[in-house]
Amino acid sequence: MTALAPPRRRAGSPAKWVLLLPFVVMFALFFIAPIVYAIVQSLFATKSSGLGLGRPETTFVFFDNYARALSDPAFVESVGRLVLFAAIEVPLMVLTALGLALLLDSGKARFPRFFRVLYFAPYGVPGVIATLLWGFLYIPATSPVIQALGAIGIDMNPLSSSGVLFAIANIALWGFAGYNMVILMAALDAIPSELYEAARVDGASTWSTTWHIKLPLVRPSIILVTVFTIIGTLQLFVEPLVLQPLTSAISSTFTPNLAAYNQAFAQGNPNLAAAMAVLVAVLGFVFSFGFLRLVNRKDSRAW
Amino acid sequence: MSIPDRLRRPATALAAVSVVALALAGCSGSPSTGTADGEPVKITFQSWVPNIDQAVDAFNDSHDDIQVTLETITAGPDGGYATMLSAVQAGNAADVAQVGYDSIPDFLINDGLEDITEYAEGSADLFSPWQWETGVFDGSVYSIPQASGPLGQFYRADIFEELGIEAPTTWDEYYEAAKVVRASDPDRYIAAFAFNQAPWMIGLAQQGGANWFGTEGDAWTVDIDGDETLKVAEYWQKLVDEDLVKVVADMSNEWNADIQNGNILTWISGSWADAIVRGTAPETAGKWAVSLVPQWNAGENVSATWAGGSASVVLRGTDHPAEATEFAVWLNSDPESVSILTSIGAGWPALADTSAIESLQDDPEVFAFYGGQDIWDTFAESDAAVDTSWKWPPLSSTLFASLSDNVSAAVENGTPLVDAYRLTQEDVVAALTERGINVQ
Repeated sequence: MTALAPPRRRAGSPAKWVLLLPFVVMFALFFIAPIVYAIVQSLFATKSSGLGLGRPETTFVFFDNYARALSDPAFVESVGRLVLFAAIEVPLMVLTALGLALLLDSGKARFPRFFRVLYFAPYGVPGVIATLLWGFLYIPATSPVIQALGAIGIDMNPLSSSGVLFAIANIALWGFAGYNMVILMAALDAIPSELYEAARVDGASTWSTTWHIKLPLVRPSIILVTVFTIIGTLQLFVEPLVLQPLTSAISSTFTPNLAAYNQAFAQGNPNLAAAMAVLVAVLGFVFSFGFLRLVNRKDSRAW
Repeated sequence: MSIPDRLRRPATALAAVSVVALALAGCSGSPSTGTADGEPVKITFQSWVPNIDQAVDAFNDSHDDIQVTLETITAGPDGGYATMLSAVQAGNAADVAQVGYDSIPDFLINDGLEDITEYAEGSADLFSPWQWETGVFDGSVYSIPQASGPLGQFYRADIFEELGIEAPTTWDEYYEAAKVVRASDPDRYIAAFAFNQAPWMIGLAQQGGANWFGTEGDAWTVDIDGDETLKVAEYWQKLVDEDLVKVVADMSNEWNADIQNGNILTWISGSWADAIVRGTAPETAGKWAVSLVPQWNAGENVSATWAGGSASVVLRGTDHPAEATEFAVWLNSDPESVSILTSIGAGWPALADTSAIESLQDDPEVFAFYGGQDIWDTFAESDAAVDTSWKWPPLSSTLFASLSDNVSAAVENGTPLVDAYRLTQEDVVAALTERGINVQ
């Protein structure tokens, strides 16, 4: 019908596919495929019969595994514990990272670059090694710190049931505060200095500058850091796993991920483990998107 | 940003192809090596027992037709079994593997073992009857027994002498000795209460006369909270409440430090624990001794094992079941091999006739650590007194995890230990029923 049809565009050059291919293949193989496999696994169960010494059968049980996980009091308790832990850890982490970033960015810090490296350094220690090191520091028999405190009359037992969540929070804080601090410092660096000059001209104090200029402008990064911390906290696994032999306060169902690991590798029930893992993922989605919804008011999208 | 329509189909196709490729790659298994003429058959053996390569080398030196490659893996309960079962499912498992007696039903329920009845018949007479039976189910043979872990009491003879106490022969004496030890030094305890170690707790219950699992027809009977077990639980409750034992995980860093410093004086453990004590506290050489486990009634000799013992199994999917079985039988019955196994701490041999085993008759290096005591005599006495009717059910891993969790929680919250055993009873029955297994 049109007199002059627009020339048909070539359907994209092959170059972009070649560049995308490595990522897409890896993404599909190591991200999508395992997720699909886990979801499929969670819909089956292996059943035996009689004395259980013969060949088992794999049967399709639909959402039976999910019902089992959700009706297991230990698993539900572990989710509750995790939410409590997140309530402690997330604000603590964000405030610490923000505080350190603002201090190092204030211009009044001595040797800011040295301290930036120093605070970031713990992130380079792998999680298992870090927890082993802190494990030594938490046991009275091997900890110079606890022994010194004991000598002056302060009795500390970080691995008791009342202290163990804080002990784990401490390890996570030590490892990741620097990482989050670096993200926030990059955002702070990006603030144009004319704003500071204008503020000084207007007679603003350091605190006013921080509150009215710096914080609003790094709000997207603060939200990013919070979402990362929420997701990371909900996957808590390494610290309880490594600390478990050191204390009776950590059971094999201390966190949902630990419970899933226990089901898969100690109790030979990978189907239930897959269901638990999917539930943890859903929980992560709910919390992160819930948080983003909360902070993204319609009129001022920060993300 | 959503994928534009014209890219959607190629992207979906790409993802689908990748998933299919992954699935296909997982399904293929590699063809086996070794031919029938001239070339030795090559098989792999997975174990975590330190220094077992000495026994494997001895086999390779004495056999031309079969050559064995040893793969050292993590200890079974710590992840080794999971590795083996995953490999069986993937189709590339080792041929022979080390599995504890307690986990053999677990492997059966997950279809991980090859039926070796036809290759192993004729070997039954070589082994002690109760240990041979741990590998026989429904008339078929699935494993060759290697060693059991009869319990003994390792104790610091020098410190006991210093404190004027004898090695306790009854649990009443043990209680009295615990009080003396505790009073001697604020950091010193007679033993650790290892809340993490289910085999230790199970062994103590077994020694108390309990028998947790049995079969009636085609159903299991589960009796974890029977009277004998609760008697044992109440005894240890008393020790924990009166601060006479240290609540700490055994074989942990803190426990190791205490063993080295003489702050934990005894350890009730299997015969293989000799290698661990010698390795953990070499500077205390000459100061230890071994006695029988304290008895409930004076003059009795009732003993138990630490999770049964160890066996060599042939994993399902092997291409050489006959050769694998031959190796397993040789490893666990040839006198030279068993002598090596005993001296490296593999446990108490499953052989019926141990008179030909050198290292059991005389092992100067080991005996020197115990002030010259022939500890194998003590363990022989212990092994003879083990209740051999004890059976292991499927899902023993669930049993261990549940017992350890419940006892940890009881200790942590100050609730009675007897309740922990009752909870474990419920957990295990529920887990077995969930898997479709009949429970009475």
